[in-house]
Amino acid sequence: MNDAVARIHAAFADAGVTGRLHALGIDSGVQLDAGADQPVPTASVHKLCVLVALHEQDAAGRLDLTEQVECPPAGRTTGPTGVAAMLDAARLSLRDLAYLMMAVSDNAAADLLLRRVGLDAVNATTARLGLTRTLAVHSFGDMLATIKEDAGPDGARALADPHVITRLRALDPARTNRSTPRDLTRLLAAVWRDEACPPEHGAAMRRIMGLQVWPHRLASGFPFDDVHVAGKTGTLPTLRNEVGVVEYPDGGRYAVAVFTRTAHTAATLPAADAVIGTAARIAVDALRAEELRSR
Amino acid sequence: MDLVRHLECFVAVAEESHFGRAAARLGMAQPPLSQRIQRLERELGVRLFERTSRRVTITEAGRLLLADAREVLSRSESFLATARRVRDGETGLLRAALPPDLSGGTVAALLADFGRRRSGLELELHELSTAQQLARLAAHELDVGIVHHPCDVAGLELGPVLRRELGVLLSRGAGAARLDEVPLAALSGHDLILFPRSAAPALYDDLLTTCARGGFTPAAVRHGQGDSFVRGLVLSAGAVALCPRDARPPSSGDPDVVWRPLTGGAPALRHSAAWPAGRGDAAVHAFAEAATQALRTAAGATPDAPTRPLHLRPASEYWL
Repeated sequence: MNDAVARIHAAFADAGVTGRLHALGIDSGVQLDAGADQPVPTASVHKLCVLVALHEQDAAGRLDLTEQVECPPAGRTTGPTGVAAMLDAARLSLRDLAYLMMAVSDNAAADLLLRRVGLDAVNATTARLGLTRTLAVHSFGDMLATIKEDAGPDGARALADPHVITRLRALDPARTNRSTPRDLTRLLAAVWRDEACPPEHGAAMRRIMGLQVWPHRLASGFPFDDVHVAGKTGTLPTLRNEVGVVEYPDGGRYAVAVFTRTAHTAATLPAADAVIGTAARIAVDALRAEELRSR
Repeated sequence: MDLVRHLECFVAVAEESHFGRAAARLGMAQPPLSQRIQRLERELGVRLFERTSRRVTITEAGRLLLADAREVLSRSESFLATARRVRDGETGLLRAALPPDLSGGTVAALLADFGRRRSGLELELHELSTAQQLARLAAHELDVGIVHHPCDVAGLELGPVLRRELGVLLSRGAGAARLDEVPLAALSGHDLILFPRSAAPALYDDLLTTCARGGFTPAAVRHGQGDSFVRGLVLSAGAVALCPRDARPPSSGDPDVVWRPLTGGAPALRHSAAWPAGRGDAAVHAFAEAATQALRTAAGATPDAPTRPLHLRPASEYWL
């Protein structure tokens, strides 16, 4: 295991990032810890917590996943995908908004769901599942507003300046939505073991998480047709995250949470995206070898 | 009234827009937090927040005071950092670091300027790479350093970022050597000499990406650092090397190797002062200012204002 941790840190360094990782065998309990308890800004990874809270509320009869939501164009949270990028009014069910929130990280869908569910309910869900170091303090729109405010009049272009990066509240885990790698593998394990919600809700959440479109991070580390990868990314200037579950045909299931900060401020850094998959693969291979030894 | 403690409460409630979350962040219960805000409002004679049963919003008056409140808190942190240094028996000692690639003239200018700013202060100066500086800053074994960008700046505060434009060293017989200024694309066909990638992977990739963006994708990258080794590769293999203006060989000194400025989106070395967030006191700022001044005057560095357009792609997940 120590060798795997060293190789993970070497892979992070080679890609020009600082990374933290926790990996967990969902059924065996074997673990790999490479900075698993460091507080990290979650960014869009927190949409996973919104997803679980939403399904928990449906299970408790407090809402109905097929309930229709009006999505007027005015006041939409901005973003490059999904409803956030659309121009006209739309009407979608809560569960289809959840699909867009997870499949393409739709910020508008996420905030519409958050408005229905409530920030306090999201925190109550994570607290109930024992995620003591996980907290949502603002909506996705409010988080983006802090970046806009901290970046100043030059807008997105100013985010290439390291000096500006150091003052972004959205990158300070004390002042934005936060968690730890270990908390998030615990959440994923609860979803995959049907401990977070009843089985039919668990299956609905796993279906949605398997529909994420991005191939460049966690999934890139597992280029195997018979291996299933489900996950949720999170991205902000210099920050790249993904948490997810990797399932092998022999029944092995592994929750992996990877959080990185790039040295470079550039927005396009393919190597930094790919190393999330590389590191996850080293971790999962180590967990599988450990399971084989103890069998 | 403990003004600093009350202002911390004010800023926390303003940033969280929620008493419960602000209390959790401050590690205190909600009732005493509410009492502190009320006390502060009474003392100031200003209403800072509008409260309804569901949410708390900052008033216009509160918004006007928020920036000053943050400023007071940051000054008090700096004050406490100085006090810490005095208390820890390190009065008058600043632990600082410089990267190995600054010219002797730049280092001398920095030290002379710092001595004028803080004559009573003893300076413990180390020559350290950026990676070494980051490790020691994180461990609080170093008070301030001059780092190369790109590097991971989490947990740091920075001085202004300055750039030293890179030119190119090439053999006098090379076609591009006939130009006064060499466009990056004119280097096509040459191999590039760079430091070994493991020394600074992000900087290495940044330099290659910038060259590629300018139309120069070298067929091979050769690794070398020492002056004479680099000179040998330039002469024997027709390779070219990147070199800042202030470190170029004297124009009359070498009949076979010449230095030319680069154009067309030339790569640059970027530096700034860096110190652990919240630990910047007067001595740290004096060093940072002296370093900035020395880089500008002795090394010809210029402010690094991002000028290129930025096209965020959909996978960026955010949009400003």
